[in-house]
Amino acid sequence: MIRYILQRLGESAAVIALMSFVIYALIGLMPGDPIDLMINSDPRLTPADAARLRAVYGLDRPLVDRYLSWAAAAIGGDFGNSRLHVRPVLDVMPGFLLNTVKLMGLSFILSVAIAIPAGVIAARRQNSRLDHVINLLCFAGISVPVFWLALMLIILFSVMMPILPASGIASVGGGGGIMDAARHLVLPVATLTIFSVGSYTRFVRAAMIEVLRQDYIRTARAKGAGPSRIVWVHALRNAMIPVVTVIALSFGTLFSGALITETMFAYPGMGKLIYDSIMGNDYNMALVTLLFATAVTLAANLLADLAYAWLDPRISYAAGEGARP
Amino acid sequence: MTDIVRPTAPPDGMLILFARRFADHRLALASLVVLLALALLAAAAPAAEWLLGVSANSVNLTIRFAPPSLAHPFGTDELGRDLLVRLLYGGRISLAVGIAAALASAVIGTIIGLLAGYYGGKLDALLMRLTDGVIALPLLPLLIVLAAVDLTKIGLPAELARDPDVSLYRMVVIIALVSWTTVARLVRGATLSVREREFVLAAAACGAGPLRIMAVHILPNVVSPIIVATTLSVGNVILLESVLSFLGLGIQPPIASWGNMLTGAQELIWSAPQLVFWPGALIFATVIAFNFLGDGMQDALDPRAITR
Amino acid sequence: MTAPLLSAEGLFKHFPLRGGLFGRRAGKVHALNGIDFAIWPGRTLALVGESGCGKTTAARAVAGLIRPDAGRLLFRGKDVATASGNDRKSARRAMQMVFQDPYGSLNPRLNVNAIVAEPLVIHGIGDGAARRDRVAEVLAQVGIDPRDGERYPHEFSGGQRQRIAIARALAPEPELIIADEPLSALDVSIQSQVLNLLKDIQAARGLAFLFITHDLAVVDYFADEVAVMYLGHIVERAPRAALFAAPRHPYTRTLLAAAPRPGGGKRRPGAVPAGEVPSPIDPPAGCPFHPRCPRAVSACRETMPILSGGDHAFACHNPEPVP
Repeated sequence: MIRYILQRLGESAAVIALMSFVIYALIGLMPGDPIDLMINSDPRLTPADAARLRAVYGLDRPLVDRYLSWAAAAIGGDFGNSRLHVRPVLDVMPGFLLNTVKLMGLSFILSVAIAIPAGVIAARRQNSRLDHVINLLCFAGISVPVFWLALMLIILFSVMMPILPASGIASVGGGGGIMDAARHLVLPVATLTIFSVGSYTRFVRAAMIEVLRQDYIRTARAKGAGPSRIVWVHALRNAMIPVVTVIALSFGTLFSGALITETMFAYPGMGKLIYDSIMGNDYNMALVTLLFATAVTLAANLLADLAYAWLDPRISYAAGEGARP
Repeated sequence: MTDIVRPTAPPDGMLILFARRFADHRLALASLVVLLALALLAAAAPAAEWLLGVSANSVNLTIRFAPPSLAHPFGTDELGRDLLVRLLYGGRISLAVGIAAALASAVIGTIIGLLAGYYGGKLDALLMRLTDGVIALPLLPLLIVLAAVDLTKIGLPAELARDPDVSLYRMVVIIALVSWTTVARLVRGATLSVREREFVLAAAACGAGPLRIMAVHILPNVVSPIIVATTLSVGNVILLESVLSFLGLGIQPPIASWGNMLTGAQELIWSAPQLVFWPGALIFATVIAFNFLGDGMQDALDPRAITR
Repeated sequence: MTAPLLSAEGLFKHFPLRGGLFGRRAGKVHALNGIDFAIWPGRTLALVGESGCGKTTAARAVAGLIRPDAGRLLFRGKDVATASGNDRKSARRAMQMVFQDPYGSLNPRLNVNAIVAEPLVIHGIGDGAARRDRVAEVLAQVGIDPRDGERYPHEFSGGQRQRIAIARALAPEPELIIADEPLSALDVSIQSQVLNLLKDIQAARGLAFLFITHDLAVVDYFADEVAVMYLGHIVERAPRAALFAAPRHPYTRTLLAAAPRPGGGKRRPGAVPAGEVPSPIDPPAGCPFHPRCPRAVSACRETMPILSGGDHAFACHNPEPVP
């Protein structure tokens, strides 16, 4: 098991190293370069100055060279300065990260709190009218464009019925306290929850149907366990194994949803930070935030695999194919 | 010699069985009708232009935000363009990009899945690691970067790079690059099981090479998961295209797409909420219809399988 | 006697077994432990044994589906593995296979014409029209109406499917048919029909057969020579009549004793083998049959007896006496 974990950690580290190069190269392909930006802000610079600056910043060196010196500095803890925030990248990130954790955490808790009962009820009464209604709502949640959902919620609750703020995390002027912050979270959390709850409910329903078919459920029933006890204790516990895995595996999707939600509500989180830094030619920031998002997604996947292996005794860690007859 | 015997089983095959089961899935059937209607309407966009005597891209600032009227059944947008005609043209783009990118990713995924499943061993391990790696990436941020890449820096002539038509192909390519993984996994799994069936051995015993075995014997037997996964992915692709276009990184104006019609919508929510409503509602309807369609096909092709 | 059509010399095949953490090699299955046999033109060699004895592996090695670890396959005296491209191709064309399960061995997405034409397409035999004629001809030979060629396998019964599979094997005019338990997936009432069909075809075209089976009644009816396999070894090899009349290996004797013979009544005395077949993953030392053998002597536990004895060969330290 330990060897398996180490192997997976090594693989993830390799993927991150590879991705750092890919992202570095892609960022280099984005419109403009730092020198162009300097020229734009200071029209007195001549082409000769620009060339000299390029040499000073090493921009005339081959891609791999530049990447290696970036990577060397990064390993030493220096990720450079943010162009938009004019501060070291690593100083800017924590505040945005905290906001994203709040947003994603709240909507995750809410989604799970809705998905488990809804999925279990749908599975218990498979093909009933209630099941069909739940199914319809799930498909709606999966299929709705998040940015449009956000716009609709803003139109409903900030324009037509101005009861909730449409953007930011605090009212202008500040001093709103915790209630003000909470009011600002309502629409973003609602958007992200609607986005994720549909697929979670379908995971729960599918896993419950699978479990309710199994023999040991019939055994529990034969032993006289009441129907509610069977469903909520015996079956749900077993259904959670695949559910936990799929939910962890869908972390990347949730993060994509968070990026759109944050952008729509001008909510200062990691998603908006990524988007703004890409759009604002903030190369250092874009690079670090993208890599961070990749690392977190990989970690979620790794945890999902480990949790699955841990919880399900039938999985061995054998990588090779079985013997053929 | 023995007597001639005629087949005993009824001649109707899997297709009829499939059609019957699919017809039981009323939502899927309704979705199919909705999608066909949408496709027809989108195809009829030039006819609508002609009937209304307007052009999709003709700007007329004197009639900005006009309310619905006979001349403009859905009203006009912030540049005085006819909303209905633009919605129809946007539908063409969204459907075309969605289907093209889904097909392209199906092709990539099928090739990778077939190779991994048929050859197994080191190639399989390599390709599946690649697939896991792509799945584990944060999709949207990556797509934003890919969509923002300056095409002149990879050697495209400037006028071509800025051509709005090129933004169409770019969308198809970058979305296909990241969304082939589902098909690849499904095809690999199906290939692994089909590969062990005796008719594959029989073909090999006849002397068939790997290419022929994959193309003639394995591929036709793994079509069902490919069709289902591709149908389901059309919805996802349309969502990705619309959000990128909305962010200004996808389909470039003046080409209308449902996503880029919402660019700048945050400014319109006060003055013209109907402009915000329609494009998104159409995206929503199209995506949900593709998802129901795929779900119904999955149930019809494999009645034992429970929902995804 | 003429030269053999096909001979196998010392075929070895071990399958690696993976298991435990990270797919470590956990052992290997000794599927073929160096077997020799020969098939003459127009004659039938039956490979007999319990399941897991390696007879299917032997058939697949002959058909070129698996590559043996060691040993040679000679077709008309030429080594198939080292032959030039043309020789190898014509050898492959001359050896066609019929599989056990007619539900699995026909591609459900191809119609009967396409299935039967496949070996012709692969080997580039004839043009479109010639292929169509050939397909209709072999279909009629096996008792399938050529007008049903546009139909798909699922529309046919098991027996009909096996006829289609036989038609496919016949299409490229082979000299040897490798039949791997071609009857055991069929209803008993159908088995004799298909067996008669095979026998008719053999008589009409002088085909040789490598016939894999566990059914001694079929062997008695169909085979010219018989090779008995046990855990990857050929333990006895003899003309059919000699083998049935006087089995020399104790394993053959117990097999014959356990099998009901057509005509009935003639069940031979002798114990049914006691105990389980040892695992091919970890075969016992010495003669692999010794743990179950009623005649085992001390030599049997130590050294593997060598197959010897000319026409009626057997591998046993303490053979059954000739009656």
